[in-house]
Amino acid sequence: MRPGDLGPARSRQAKVVGPLVLARPRQAKNFRGSITESEPCSHHVAVRSQRPALPTVCSLSASVRKNIKMVGVLRRFNQLKALVRIRTGPGAAVLPQDVTRIHMEFAHKLNDGHMGPRKFWREALPRLKYWNPAVPMVVNRTTDNSGPATLTLYFREPGATLASDMPMPSSSNEGFAKAPAPAEGERVVTIDMKHRRSEAILKEFMDKSGAVAVTPTPQDEVELREAEEREAKGAVDRERIRRMNEEAKREKAMIAQAQSEAAAIRSSL
Amino acid sequence: MASLNQCLASLARLSLSTPARPILTPTIPKFLIPSATAPLVRHASGGGGMRKRPVKKKKTYKTYKTWDLSEIEQFSLCDALRYLRAFEVGRPPAVVKYELAVKLRTQKGGPVIRNRIRLPFPVKTDTRIGVICPEDSPLMIEAQQLGAVAVGQESLFESIRAGQLPFNKLICHVDSVEALRKANLGKILGPKGLMPSPKTKTITSDLKATVQELIGADEYRERDGVVRMAVGQLGFTPQMLSDNIKSFMNLLKQDISNSDDNHPKALDEVVLSSTNGPGFSLNGSFHPTDPKLKPEDLQSVM
Repeated sequence: MRPGDLGPARSRQAKVVGPLVLARPRQAKNFRGSITESEPCSHHVAVRSQRPALPTVCSLSASVRKNIKMVGVLRRFNQLKALVRIRTGPGAAVLPQDVTRIHMEFAHKLNDGHMGPRKFWREALPRLKYWNPAVPMVVNRTTDNSGPATLTLYFREPGATLASDMPMPSSSNEGFAKAPAPAEGERVVTIDMKHRRSEAILKEFMDKSGAVAVTPTPQDEVELREAEEREAKGAVDRERIRRMNEEAKREKAMIAQAQSEAAAIRSSL
Repeated sequence: MASLNQCLASLARLSLSTPARPILTPTIPKFLIPSATAPLVRHASGGGGMRKRPVKKKKTYKTYKTWDLSEIEQFSLCDALRYLRAFEVGRPPAVVKYELAVKLRTQKGGPVIRNRIRLPFPVKTDTRIGVICPEDSPLMIEAQQLGAVAVGQESLFESIRAGQLPFNKLICHVDSVEALRKANLGKILGPKGLMPSPKTKTITSDLKATVQELIGADEYRERDGVVRMAVGQLGFTPQMLSDNIKSFMNLLKQDISNSDDNHPKALDEVVLSSTNGPGFSLNGSFHPTDPKLKPEDLQSVM
């Protein structure tokens, strides 16, 4: 696992709900209705592995969703347990007081060196946002892959007081949120992210911003380990279910073929 | 079944003569082995293999399942917002919505909660209203003055049949109910949830009051024991969101207390989530637990 990764299950199957096993079955003990007994196998207690800024099971808007039962309490329980991933890991760092805002600009598609910036946004930026909730972090995604991929850090000049309502555009998917010019009493540091991996970008970011990485507490470490165990068990389960489904599909196809051939023979007689 | 077996036997003969067919390897699935589907040898005694096992009856519940929530971590609004804003960082704030799912303790059948609310800070702002009322009547002029995008009776029915629906809310004046019934538009309007009906309070004699109620109002209803509702945009401040949630919950509590005695309902859990974030069970408090975090910190530009 690369250090930049959030979990072993990072793949293109972003929307697939990954199975996950209860790390400690006793967690379920107190829930009325004996979930562990009523569920035949652990993939029913599935939760997607924690990936910030990706659609989760609860991603549909209320107006679209119809007749979907409440996401199960255990699934949500596991998701909340996995929140430790946003509190720790690459990007979990406290910015110094003089960082006023952060702006990122890169393209939607990965061609021409825009993969690293996107990874940085997906992986490091949520953690930075968690630890620095008051710092505006704006992402401008464009459709122009030949364009730049830059991260702009805005610093308050020593002794300067800034207006509380500096003009700052909101994040945009259409390239409308260009990096604003620094206000009076502000200086700007840019990081060129093109053709670079997210780890390299993060390293330069930490150096230039002076951010202090957060050390995980012992409790966090326990929870991280549990989340990893859940994911490992989930991977095993996922494979087992995949094989089961494949087998069922194959048998079904063979029955259908045999029946269609039988019908053909019957009609030719 | 017997005919299938005959066919399978003839298939087997065919496979001997035509080598192009796939040869059955030892990994024949169970169902193709003749003995698996029907035993070739039958015993007259009959006491042996075909004993029927009693079919286990699946337990059915009259109420939706609820869980003991004492093990579940619950969050104050600001704590939940801190996480959700981290999950939504870099997303356009007008696109991302906060949504609330309220689980009820309720029976599976029976009446459901269904109502409309005008939130203090509306989430959706594009309400386009169509009005069905008699043509060339003063009502028509009134509706147009109220800002309806489509007004009329037969002309409106024609455009609906043609697939032109410039509105996302449709109301009907009581004078046109008969015409609406005859127009047979239920097939088109029903699935879109646009069919005027007294249940949704969209058949009215007072156009002005209904139009004003509809503008900026959101509908909610109970499905599978859960009421869901979009309560805010990502750009809202914690205070705005709190106001919206409070007014929604107050109205919902009224609805719950109004439910009839044969079908009692009660509040079970309130979960806040966002478009891309996980669900956070709320504990009803507002302030963050982290003393270093202030609610004002959670309203920076996203």
